[in-house]
Amino acid sequence: MLSRNRAAYAFLAPYLLIFVTFWLWPIINSLLISFQNTRVNPWRFSLSANWGRLFVDPAFYNALYNTLIILVIQVPVMIALATVMAVLLNSPLLKARPLYRFAFFAPVVVGEVAYAAVFRLMFSADFGIVNKLITSVGLSPVSWFDNANAAMALVIIAITWRWAGYNAIILLAGLQSIPDDVYEAATLDKVSKFQQFVHITLPLLKPIISFCVVLSVIGTMQLFTEPFLITNRGGPGGGTETLGLLLYRQGFTSLNFGYASAIAYTIAGLAVAISLLNLVLGREKK
Amino acid sequence: MAKIKLENVVKSFGAYQVVHGANLEIDDGEFTVFVGPSGCGKSTLLRMIAGLEDISAGTISIGGKVVNNTEPSDRGIAMVFQSYALYPHMTVRRNLSFGLEMNGNPKDDTARRVALAANILQINELMDRRPAQLSGGQRQRVAIGRAIVREPQVFLFDEPLSNLDAELRVQMRVEISKLHKQLRTTMIYVTHDQTEAMTLADKIVVLRAGHIEQVGAPLDLYDDPANQFVAGFVGSPKMNFLKAEVVEKGPGGAVVALSSDRTVRFAFSLSTEINAGASVTLGIRPEHFILPGEGDADLTVAVEVAEHLGNTSYVHARLSGETVVIEQPESRHRGDGQHLTVGVPARRVFLFDQKGNRLR
Repeated sequence: MLSRNRAAYAFLAPYLLIFVTFWLWPIINSLLISFQNTRVNPWRFSLSANWGRLFVDPAFYNALYNTLIILVIQVPVMIALATVMAVLLNSPLLKARPLYRFAFFAPVVVGEVAYAAVFRLMFSADFGIVNKLITSVGLSPVSWFDNANAAMALVIIAITWRWAGYNAIILLAGLQSIPDDVYEAATLDKVSKFQQFVHITLPLLKPIISFCVVLSVIGTMQLFTEPFLITNRGGPGGGTETLGLLLYRQGFTSLNFGYASAIAYTIAGLAVAISLLNLVLGREKK
Repeated sequence: MAKIKLENVVKSFGAYQVVHGANLEIDDGEFTVFVGPSGCGKSTLLRMIAGLEDISAGTISIGGKVVNNTEPSDRGIAMVFQSYALYPHMTVRRNLSFGLEMNGNPKDDTARRVALAANILQINELMDRRPAQLSGGQRQRVAIGRAIVREPQVFLFDEPLSNLDAELRVQMRVEISKLHKQLRTTMIYVTHDQTEAMTLADKIVVLRAGHIEQVGAPLDLYDDPANQFVAGFVGSPKMNFLKAEVVEKGPGGAVVALSSDRTVRFAFSLSTEINAGASVTLGIRPEHFILPGEGDADLTVAVEVAEHLGNTSYVHARLSGETVVIEQPESRHRGDGQHLTVGVPARRVFLFDQKGNRLR
């Protein structure tokens, strides 16, 4: 029995070695680094240099505020949009369904840099198609990259465009698991399509919606690509700087790895806390 | 309660026609069973009556009113599905009341109807459970309860007992029968099980490949099948079919001999014209064989297998390459290879032509 166990561990050893070296150790080490003042040489243990700074750093509060604003606005809007898209995709009246499924999913497989470049062009203040459309209906053009609120809206629009289809496909799988005859029974009960959506589809889809919310919360807490590539590294003036971007700036621009580690743990902690809250609130009553 | 009338009802899926001009009348309060093998169109016909499938041609009337373009919920029907189709996230009570609540039915009336259905089906102690916490039989009761609370003119059952085990199926069959006696509402019941059809129905509609083959009371179908398909479908074990030939033809009758044993002959009085030498099929039910010498002819077969059920036995035997099943109430020890001689009463023998039509 013992020799059989040894053989099993021997086969597992290459994976375990890589896991420990490149996964477990960095996770532990970054926790240790978060308690070091890394702005002096040699590094010294200090509780206040990083964890203490978190509570007084206006840049951290700004990044936290921006991240939470995106979370609070973008996640519900995107999940609602994804649910509507999934219901439409599930409609028997829809022709060429696989084409639409692909079209909705396509943004996820488009390269981040390419999509960011297209968004920058589309939202360009002077020659972007979005401002052209806005001015064509008589409204004044928007400075998407110079106005903090507009830049924030742009980030939210971009993330929603990129991930709504992805969530819609997950929700579609959930919708397809609801048997047709439940809806037929409701139709015979003279329950309207809207009532069916509210009283049957949404409750039965709740676990899947909850799953999508958790995924989106984790994704938004780590948000980096869009504010980095589209709104000029969190611009204007930190108006779209997220926690992920602050982490990057502290770690790889200022080389302050201790503070970056503390921010990384804060992001992970917040993501876990918000996801748990979502799961607790969404739990079925026994 | 309502009378139902189907006139030349056709259903096509694209170019493929699945119901070919069905004509049928179902009386007020009648228990009608649609029976037939898989794919015969029985469920499609039921779903057309429910309004869950469009009608390609023809008319369907319920209570004297054509309902072709009437919404399913306005046809005065309630349906019980094979898979129960209960709302999985709602309690039994909510499953029963949901439809009424959504339609703004007064609360006290909803409560009254739910309580009545719960009493009829004896599900009072299950009211706060969810479908996942119920057994198959209990779920089926709730599904029937949901139909009852609608107080429909017509109940539609789509193979409601197929997902239950054998014992529960028998029990639920009796309960549905009792329910019909209690409510006296028109009921249409779809099944592929001829035993369910025989035991439940006032009227059986036998379907094959989208055609109605015969409509009649269970025993009429058993005693007087219109064709070989109905003869084979109604009755369990199914009727034996043996190849035969017309050996003599006289005015108003013919003598038919078995192809496998030409000494076995039966005389039939026939109004149909048939030529001497024509190939025909003889049908005899396993339970209609009698003691040798007591019938119009004797048949000797080689026993292959005997199934002993206690009260009776089914002997599976060979007769020159053809399989014959014989019911033998007294037999207990028939084994492989033994020969068995039985009597055949001519009045219990049915005659079919090569197309399967009954020759009378």
